[in-house]
Amino acid sequence: MYIIVSPRLGTPGDTFEPADGINVQALIDGGLISTDKPKKSSKVKEAPEEN
Amino acid sequence: MATSVYLSNPSVTINSVDLSDQCTAATITYTVEALENTAFGSTARTYTSGLANNSITVTLYQSYAAAETEVSVYNLVGTTTSIVIKPSSGAVSATNPSYTLATAYLESHTPINASLGELSTIDLTFTGGTLTKATS
Repeated sequence: MYIIVSPRLGTPGDTFEPADGINVQALIDGGLISTDKPKKSSKVKEAPEEN
Repeated sequence: MATSVYLSNPSVTINSVDLSDQCTAATITYTVEALENTAFGSTARTYTSGLANNSITVTLYQSYAAAETEVSVYNLVGTTTSIVIKPSSGAVSATNPSYTLATAYLESHTPINASLGELSTIDLTFTGGTLTKATS
């Protein structure tokens, strides 16, 4: 899965689906997309209830 | 009625990267090579179609900033990609057709092309590939 980094390709953070013929490696090398997974929202642990 | 085309807001996308705001000129040349098949007895030269030999030439302002021209173009040299050009940035339609040159080869790029007192520009020529026109 590819993630958009540059706003010239779309909304940063969205997944990028390359069309046929797109040079994906050039986009990665240029830092325009990444192969990182999108960041998950941080979970907040609730404090355990005291008895 | 006379008509004219005034391109003020075309859309230029190279390898999925929208570089419209860095582009000042674009030319699509749609070519199918002519193969001569004139023979004895002919009174005029005649031709039949050969291979398609399309190209797109664009002029872009150079910029070395993040996500701008240089990083979008440099890694394409010696490879093939797709270029999409529309007369206007609006939706594709019969009056705003989209032209896509797929599997086009970029042979060269001039990372430095500057003169004193002028904005640096680069000319890119993508050759070969298949040209398609979409109206919807």
